[in-house]
Amino acid sequence: MPRPESKMINFTIDGREVSAPEGAMLVDAAKHGDVEIPVFCYEPKLGQPVGACRMCLVEIEGIPKLQTGCSTPVRDGMVVYTETERVKVAQQSVVEFLLINHPLDCPVCDKGGECPLQDITFGWGGGISRFIEPKRHFVKPLELSPLIAIDRERCILCYRCVRFSQEISEDYQLVLLERGAHSYVSTFDGHPYVAPFSGNIVELCPVGALTSRPYRFRARPWDIEGAGSVCTLCPAQCNVTITVRDERALRVLARQNDEVDDGWLCDKGRFAYQSFHAEERITEPLIRDGGQLRPVTWERALEQAAGALKRAGANAAAIAGGQSTGEEGHLLARLMREGLGSPHLDSRRAGTLSLDAHRALGAPALQANVSDLEFAHAVLVLDTDPVNDASILDLRLRKGIRRRGLKLAVASPGPSSLDPSAALSIRFKPGAGAAFAAALSAALGASAELETLCGEAGVESAAVRELAELLRGPEPQQGADSELQPREVVILWGERLTAAPNAELGAGALLGIAEALDLANVEGAGMLEVPATANGRGLREAGVLPNAGPGLSQLQDAGRDSAAIAEGLAAGELSALYLLQCDPLRELADRALWERALAGASTVIAHASFLTDAINEHADVVFPAEAYPEKEGTLVHPDGRLQRLRPAIARPGSVRAGWHVIAELALRLGLDFDVLSGAMASRQLFEAVPFYSGLTLEEIGGRGVRWQEREAAAAFPAPASAPSGDGSFEEPADPGEAAGYRSVWDAPEVEHSPAFDFLFKTKELV
Amino acid sequence: MSDTPPKAEQATPDTTALKVEGWNPGDDVIEIVRSPDPGPGRATWRTFRETARGLLTTFGRFTETPVTVEYPEEKTPVYPRFRGRHKLHRFEDSGLEKCVGCSLCAAACPADCIRVVAAENTPENRVSAGERYAAVYEINLSRCIFCGYCEVACPFDAITMGHDYELSDYDRSDLIFTKEMLLAEPLERTPLRNEGE
Ligand code: SF4
Ligand code: SF4
Ligand code: SF4
Ligand code: FES
Repeated sequence: MPRPESKMINFTIDGREVSAPEGAMLVDAAKHGDVEIPVFCYEPKLGQPVGACRMCLVEIEGIPKLQTGCSTPVRDGMVVYTETERVKVAQQSVVEFLLINHPLDCPVCDKGGECPLQDITFGWGGGISRFIEPKRHFVKPLELSPLIAIDRERCILCYRCVRFSQEISEDYQLVLLERGAHSYVSTFDGHPYVAPFSGNIVELCPVGALTSRPYRFRARPWDIEGAGSVCTLCPAQCNVTITVRDERALRVLARQNDEVDDGWLCDKGRFAYQSFHAEERITEPLIRDGGQLRPVTWERALEQAAGALKRAGANAAAIAGGQSTGEEGHLLARLMREGLGSPHLDSRRAGTLSLDAHRALGAPALQANVSDLEFAHAVLVLDTDPVNDASILDLRLRKGIRRRGLKLAVASPGPSSLDPSAALSIRFKPGAGAAFAAALSAALGASAELETLCGEAGVESAAVRELAELLRGPEPQQGADSELQPREVVILWGERLTAAPNAELGAGALLGIAEALDLANVEGAGMLEVPATANGRGLREAGVLPNAGPGLSQLQDAGRDSAAIAEGLAAGELSALYLLQCDPLRELADRALWERALAGASTVIAHASFLTDAINEHADVVFPAEAYPEKEGTLVHPDGRLQRLRPAIARPGSVRAGWHVIAELALRLGLDFDVLSGAMASRQLFEAVPFYSGLTLEEIGGRGVRWQEREAAAAFPAPASAPSGDGSFEEPADPGEAAGYRSVWDAPEVEHSPAFDFLFKTKELV
Repeated sequence: MSDTPPKAEQATPDTTALKVEGWNPGDDVIEIVRSPDPGPGRATWRTFRETARGLLTTFGRFTETPVTVEYPEEKTPVYPRFRGRHKLHRFEDSGLEKCVGCSLCAAACPADCIRVVAAENTPENRVSAGERYAAVYEINLSRCIFCGYCEVACPFDAITMGHDYELSDYDRSDLIFTKEMLLAEPLERTPLRNEGE
């Protein structure tokens, strides 16, 4: 679908000629001439303006009455005044009206100091009130949800929160009840507003009516500093600003990056920051001593870990979890391969995928980016549930459907929150994603195998054909516009599609679909993988795979993947296990096998933040892991965007940087990595991966860069031979497990944030 | 200098000396006017006259009694609006703290010496009259410049400047006054000047 293009037009504002994009609202157009028109209800992120607050009144030549600048598009030759007496009187009156029922309790209001109502009253208000009658009163503050407090007296009825709930997150929970001055925001029957994206309304509210309960009264704007970072709690990697006071994270706000998050955040990312300062966080190195984990000095912990790794040698194995940075992954891979001579290293959840498949699926031409999801003609969500796997993409898809006419198809084993918005929803058997993809590929290629594959996937072949048609789009009409746009289709697929035992089948099917729809050659079309872990893509590119080195390079001999590592440990063929921010019992497939593996390992070394079951019972050496605002390094977004983490808060206790610990261990194994800072670790990573070459941290900056858009992308290795995708579907041993769906709330950070206690209390009641 | 230098005659700039072929400085030339040389007699008089005037004051005080205030046994009374160490106040009727922990004083403070950490009142633990109260309220008096901006900023008259100026201690950290210290009735160590005194 064509991206909106903007033609510049000229108009006059306050006597000055200004050029602005055609069709922009006057409020935005005025900014091109450095004129500020005050607004309350207007927020471009929320879509169409509603004109509820009347704060933006301006005078336009030729129109007798004042007009709302937020909903009047600018036209060529328009003459606009924002500072005439009429406009001033109108602005002052609007402020006076808004303040009539406003309690003016700024000193106890959390918005004080960063409140648009304060700023606009100061800047455009009359400075006096003539209202001496009693104000409207409500009970305050109420719990709108366990996370959000509502003070209805302060509300100026701008509709922003209601519009968010109705039109952006589409949970349809918030409404305005009653009429006139008695109107108030609430849920229809007063139930708590619990939704995956509810926290965004706190940031949207232009007054202190909606405030965050975990942040309640914690600080004022002049007590705090903002530190830009990237949330690593899911692969969506939203950009965030962390509010820091006294070296503590007190709040997480969205940092708008249209190419990543569109300015929204999910509630996990917004409220799970409390876990960084949780009492139970591990802040010292621990070693197992007489069956108990006891705090020790770094020196001892490192000696012990290095000794165990040295003894294990090539029988050591390592697994990197999704919160580790590319740098940590790269150093870990070097430690294993160069320091110990062990190729057993993995970062994927289940099963090996051949190197050729990795390369073919990662080919730069095939990669869609996040905004392609919004502008595509059709998107297929394949074996993933965006709201749980990469939450913010859910909002992006909804935006595409609502505003750009995107056709969405959902194919998943269970119900998806996107079903009501989808043009087509198909359910296949749990664990049969690869078979379904193969069936779709067959339907697109009119292959005869369609019926068998549909049988294996547990779907009607008619549904698959219908999906194929939807993706193909209408046949170009004969004699119609010959310059018909190529159809842009984006396939959003989950990593579990390439899980054992059907990894090759799934990968081949995806490539077949891409081939049939010509995704590689159409601008704006492509595939976007949702990895199972936050930095899944970055770790793979850094070479944390059993069968690939840095930059997906060929290795002499392949090692074991995570499942084979577990088997090896359980069978006593491997001895030591290094876990970099990974809890195998929670995150990896086949818990029973992992129980045996951890019990069978002679030494388990773990970087961990919390004493989960696996760590508490099986770890022999525990290094305290950093939380993401403490880290320095880079992550790779699923669409190839390298993003940078910078330390925002101090590390608690004696926590050390991940790269530092790995480098220290390597030193004790006789390997000098020559990294003395996070930046040096990053440089080594950029040098090791050919398609990152020439990157610098400065270039990545606060917005990130997609490596596919740089020249070095040409160095991406081509597959030696195209993966055929042949092979028949094999029923996974445990289909439910293979489907591997986890709720958005299923994260240790959520469990250790007191703000989320309510989630677990409800669970107990049920 | 006590005597004004004699007015120099308003000399018209003598531009003839600067005449250069083909160049006329015109009005650009400024003449610096100096006073005429006073001559040796007048110069000597000028020097000793000032010394003598000073000595006159010195000798004039010989007859007076000492005015030294024997501090600390004796103290000079201060004016009512003297800005000494701060006090935090409670409501007299309910005993609740007036301060709601809004941090406006901290924002106004040019020396950045106030730290406020707020918390929420609960029905069981009601500390102030508003929704929030100051859980931590500290003023670092070794940094305070006694400007009184905090007092002006406070929307609830919760903080005022007292009269106590005796603020020395053996340890710098003892000069960080906590909320309890600021709320406590201060020792009235400083006499207040009466009206008209
Ligand atoms: S609660 Fe806030 S965002 Fe919602 S209508 Fe009121 S002022 Fe607007
Ligand atoms: S008197 Fe001035 S310097 Fe001292 S605490 Fe108040 S505002 Fe700060
Ligand atoms: S003393 Fe006054 S200004 Fe300072 S925090 Fe308390 S109420 Fe606010
Ligand atoms: S901003 Fe235009 S009416 Fe609210």
